[in-house]
Amino acid sequence: MTEGGLAARIREESARLAEACTSCGDCVRACPMVARTVVVAAAEPGAVIGGVLDVLRDGAGTPEALAFISACTRSGVCTPACPERIDAAFMMRLAGLRVRGALGDAPRVKVRDDPGWSARVKIFARLTMTEEEQEKWL
Amino acid sequence: MAVTPVVFWYGCNMARHGEIIRLSTRIMEAVDVAAEPAGGPGYCCGSPQEKNARIAEGMGRRTMEKFNESGREQVVTWCPSCHMNMDDFMAPVTPPAFETLHITELLHARREMLRPLLRHPVKARVFLHGHLGFNGRVAVNDHVSDLLGMIPGIEVVNHGLLMPGHMCSAIAAVPGALAEAQRATLAAMAETGADTLATIFHSCHRETVALERGRKFRVVNWIHLLAEAMGFNYTDEYKVWRNAADPRAAIGADRIAAVGDVAFERLVEPELRRPAVV
Repeated sequence: MTEGGLAARIREESARLAEACTSCGDCVRACPMVARTVVVAAAEPGAVIGGVLDVLRDGAGTPEALAFISACTRSGVCTPACPERIDAAFMMRLAGLRVRGALGDAPRVKVRDDPGWSARVKIFARLTMTEEEQEKWL
Repeated sequence: MAVTPVVFWYGCNMARHGEIIRLSTRIMEAVDVAAEPAGGPGYCCGSPQEKNARIAEGMGRRTMEKFNESGREQVVTWCPSCHMNMDDFMAPVTPPAFETLHITELLHARREMLRPLLRHPVKARVFLHGHLGFNGRVAVNDHVSDLLGMIPGIEVVNHGLLMPGHMCSAIAAVPGALAEAQRATLAAMAETGADTLATIFHSCHRETVALERGRKFRVVNWIHLLAEAMGFNYTDEYKVWRNAADPRAAIGADRIAAVGDVAFERLVEPELRRPAVV
């Protein structure tokens, strides 16, 4: 792919999966995080995933869909639950990237940001690896 | 069997656990796999920058180009996030000149080579810390259970508890979820009489080692157990530091000075001094 390949892949796969999904809601029912998310637990599962499809189609999504996407911890049990054999976990991952602003929009959910990540990893590497290992392994 | 040269892509946050990288490499060598470790920010999968596809793509592309230039036909992953990012985004965007497989797949496939090398009994009743996620792509929970079950003296208890998420860093972001998972783990360990909690992934190990405090069981990574059975010595320094009353004293002033006292205080010390979750 050319420059911008990741954005293009996100758009292409979003469109493909949004087209294939029937909004039956079985993925929402299977998710172990729903019970922890009051707004999602109270909503109709088909409506929740309908909001996710809206995000995949460049829409704003619904509050319930944004809460569901935010609560995704990548348990992956949604994929075997799908009667259409869609990779629902990948669909949620794409929706997660979109609502966090991956395609240039303003983030619509809280984004975990750790500006010290790179420096922290390097410090730990210097604490746990020999100089020779750092030279070869990093 | 001819030696297979591979890249061992250990990820970034595994830098906290240098001994696991070292032991993994030795274990792979023992089953005729010459593993060249590669990781840290210079081999990023892009996930820390997923809020910006352009930046994430650049990070992933740089990593792919290094792997392609390595000439090695296999990249062996450790981190489930890296592995899934490779499958879902990196390889489709930058075509790979290599095959990707997870370290549990590699060692499980070579388990009959590994079995006679597990000569040192490890007396332990092991509860495996498994997650629901990633296991649908690679059967990590079964693979690790099978491998640990080959160690003389080890009994892997069968409980069925699996945590949400693909590893603990994912559920740590959801208020209360990690504490709930750890309480469930403690209850399952008591129910099964386990004396050893074996983690699979680095972020789980990082979040779980503090459970040892005041309790009569030990927390180890599955690689630690294989290493013990093979007679390899190691020290889990991260666990020592995390559970020390004074992490600075446990690490030592010279080592802290070598990495920079200010950086240590700002970036590392808060993590090591964080209270246990439960």
